[in-house]
Amino acid sequence: MTLDAAAIERLYRSHGHAVLRRARLLLGNEADAQEALQEVFAALLRAPQDLRSAGSALGWLYRATTHFCLNQLRNRRTGARLLQQSVAPAFGAASGPSPEALAELRNLLARMPADAAAAAVYHHLDGMTHAEVAEMLGCSRRQVGYLLERAQRSLEHLEQSA
Amino acid sequence: MSTRLADSLWPACLSALHLDRFLAGELDELAARRVRQHVLACSRCAGAVEGMRAARDEPLPPLRVVPLAPRARRWPRAAAAGIALAAAASLLLVVRTPGERPKGSGVGLRMYVEHGGEVRSAVPGEVIAPGDAVRFAVTTPKKAYIAVLSLDAEGRGSVYFPLGARAEAVEPSGEVALPLGTRLDATVGEERIVGVFCSSPVELEPLRIQLERGIALAPEGCQVTRWSFVKR
Repeated sequence: MTLDAAAIERLYRSHGHAVLRRARLLLGNEADAQEALQEVFAALLRAPQDLRSAGSALGWLYRATTHFCLNQLRNRRTGARLLQQSVAPAFGAASGPSPEALAELRNLLARMPADAAAAAVYHHLDGMTHAEVAEMLGCSRRQVGYLLERAQRSLEHLEQSA
Repeated sequence: MSTRLADSLWPACLSALHLDRFLAGELDELAARRVRQHVLACSRCAGAVEGMRAARDEPLPPLRVVPLAPRARRWPRAAAAGIALAAAASLLLVVRTPGERPKGSGVGLRMYVEHGGEVRSAVPGEVIAPGDAVRFAVTTPKKAYIAVLSLDAEGRGSVYFPLGARAEAVEPSGEVALPLGTRLDATVGEERIVGVFCSSPVELEPLRIQLERGIALAPEGCQVTRWSFVKR
């Protein structure tokens, strides 16, 4: 995959929407989602070799977006602000998850172990199968099952302590 | 998950990634045909694809960080060819933090502007158009950890360089063009630029917050250069 500067600009035009859509879903705030969009492509401009070694441009962008957004949610200052804000559904109120469910999920994701949070995002927010999550995380399907179990336990623990 | 959070947060049966790959043409012919056939028979996936297609029609903002890395040496050289460097030296507005560095430390920050495909060296107070790209070059007589921050006319602080959370090391080597440029957004008015030259990789988020709060930046062990440009 050739990734000179012009190729990255083209990738931004063709695939940026997917990054922005997921960042909106994960962060629930337009300004922060726009920032995530810029940061993901800025990271790519800085290290284009990361994408060269990836099998799929979209797969790499999904990973980079998830990583950036989960870090944002974990950031205490940003997280506290995000959690107080209303959220924008991904595809309109009729078909997307409810704003309340998303806000609650963000709260939980910010407090889960990083690998379990990523697995939960891919499986529950992106609807990926265990096999797809395994490919995204570079681990086995059994490991994905373990991570989702771990996410479940974190969720139950957090709900009990709430 | 067995709690309500696990219930169908993604509204389709094919994953978002699979449908994105389908729409982007990343799937092979067989996989793409399977998706097409499935979407024809599945209202949930058809709705998801429709939503994703609609989102693709939304115009994206300009890419803020400009991919200039292959031109790293050409920017300063191109500008230097047309501009008297003696005059440009007046751009290096070094403000030393008292007691932290001896006189004549020689750190400096210069800005280059790309407008309509032409690159020029900027002067303090220069008028720049939204959509122009700016890029910074620094001079340091010894290894320093460097960052460039800005405060726009609406009071928003941002870090132009580097992308990471801490100031980044630059070795002494004459004028060094920082590796990424920035495409300016549409916010008009005066924008203040602060270059920070430190002896250690300082955290930048606290500095950005200080900038937004109107607190003069003077991090310990650092020198600070300041100037501004006007966007209109």
